Amino acid sequence: MSTRTSCYGLALAIASGAALADTPTAPAHPLQDPAALKAAFATRIGHPVFVLRFGLGEHYADALTQNAAASDEFDRFQAIPGQPMAEGEPQKAGGIDCRQKIAFADLDLAAGARALAQAREIAAGNGYKPPENIELGADVFCKEFGWRAILLAESDQMLQIVWKPDGSAAKAQQLRDDHWAKVDMKALQAGSAKPAAPATKPELPQVAGDGRRHNFLDGIEAELARLAAQVGTPLAFKHIGIGATQLSVDVFPPATRKRVATWLFDDTGGMRLWREDETIALDCNKPFGAADIPLKHLPELIAAAPGLIQSMPEAAVKSVQITRGVFCNAPHIQIQVEDDRGYGDIEYDGKGKLVKAEVR
Amino acid sequence: MLRTLFLIGIVAVGPLFAADTPASVDFAWPNLTDFFKQLAGKIPAPVKVFRLKFDRDGKVDLWIQDPARRDHIDSWEYDHGEIKGPVPVKFDHYPSVQALDHHVIELTTIDFPRLPGMLASAREKLKMPDARVFLVELERGDSHGMLTFSDIPIWTLHLDSPRHDGRVEFDLGGKVLNVDKD
Repeated sequence: MSTRTSCYGLALAIASGAALADTPTAPAHPLQDPAALKAAFATRIGHPVFVLRFGLGEHYADALTQNAAASDEFDRFQAIPGQPMAEGEPQKAGGIDCRQKIAFADLDLAAGARALAQAREIAAGNGYKPPENIELGADVFCKEFGWRAILLAESDQMLQIVWKPDGSAAKAQQLRDDHWAKVDMKALQAGSAKPAAPATKPELPQVAGDGRRHNFLDGIEAELARLAAQVGTPLAFKHIGIGATQLSVDVFPPATRKRVATWLFDDTGGMRLWREDETIALDCNKPFGAADIPLKHLPELIAAAPGLIQSMPEAAVKSVQITRGVFCNAPHIQIQVEDDRGYGDIEYDGKGKLVKAEVR
Repeated sequence: MLRTLFLIGIVAVGPLFAADTPASVDFAWPNLTDFFKQLAGKIPAPVKVFRLKFDRDGKVDLWIQDPARRDHIDSWEYDHGEIKGPVPVKFDHYPSVQALDHHVIELTTIDFPRLPGMLASAREKLKMPDARVFLVELERGDSHGMLTFSDIPIWTLHLDSPRHDGRVEFDLGGKVLNVDKD
């Protein structure tokens, strides 16, 4: 090795040593030493910033910051306990949807650590899984800036506890049946607000197929007869969707128009109730029966459809829908065809008379 | 004769996009001279462009009207010397022949050597001097045949930097039409 190379190597080593000396190291136990964690972030950031989000746990912490002197400069800083902190990663300004923030000087990591400890006590006392971390930031509506812990139960029920940035005024809410309901913090702290046991869902009916390959474009009479036998009454249809390998039938259960059941057939002939939902009030909820549609002639109508658009000689049937449509008219059959370059629509009325055949 | 005119048109592209041009530091400009030469051997002039795209890796996707079936648009791809096509373009709604005739841009009217100048102008307008181009598009702004206020061929240069995304639109003459920065 030449002398020049040695000197260069030595200079490089000194330079990188100096750089490392300036690099802050995250504390080994950030939850026990939040002041040291904040000091490490302050050194790494090196200039005045606002904090939009701060994630805090014993294994990891990260901050999303906005430069106080340049409002469109956002960076993300990360800390791994005991490790030197890397430089911040620039973030796209357009990706920052919510700009609620606090000054870095007001960031109270001790409050965050206390809130996380409290959340873990509540989790243990009420049967939730312990949260791994806590996050300071705004909610999904870009409101209510605070420390936020999410607790999950075995049953997937979710409890959210929110504290103000200084760790005061905790409040909790639980996600029940797709809406949030308030939960008393005192009850949580006393361990008397356990999540409700999950409701057991009834087994949905399922009937195995005959194993033969079915192509529903060739006819659905047999399947509808099987479904009628399963339901036990004549079928009151809302919608029938036909593809080569799947048949979907929406029927109103007997004696109600307020619910609709969706039955699916697979290409082995297997039949299952997929879901049953409440109907939507503004939808067309007037049923139609098998006598209202040309079931016997359906295979011929479907087979003829691709030839009805002259400018699409290579078209094939993509799907078939039978419905009353948005205006709740008499049921009609809509057939979508496609070729390499686009789509076409064919429509028959309930008696099988051609209404339209056009390129889309 | 038509083929000769087409070749004259692409020779004009040469100074900027010839194969022996050193790689630009701005953007991996594709070798359009080679692409259009190969294309000229496969389709007759005039070439009518529905849409043109260059991506960051220097790949080109050119949609052109089939001169024999004007209701058909085909995609031709060019990837560092290799040409692939025609691949039928499938529309959600079939445009009419009239809409397609209006939408397409004749290749010889496109002044490709203006592009590096447009890129410099885009960086300046966006105040993003170090931004990288990741997509260049050319298409008439008539929303596939529906008349709009911007019913002219529009170059769109998409740029990004670690902190921002930007988009600048130009007309064929290089005039800035719109600047958008996130």
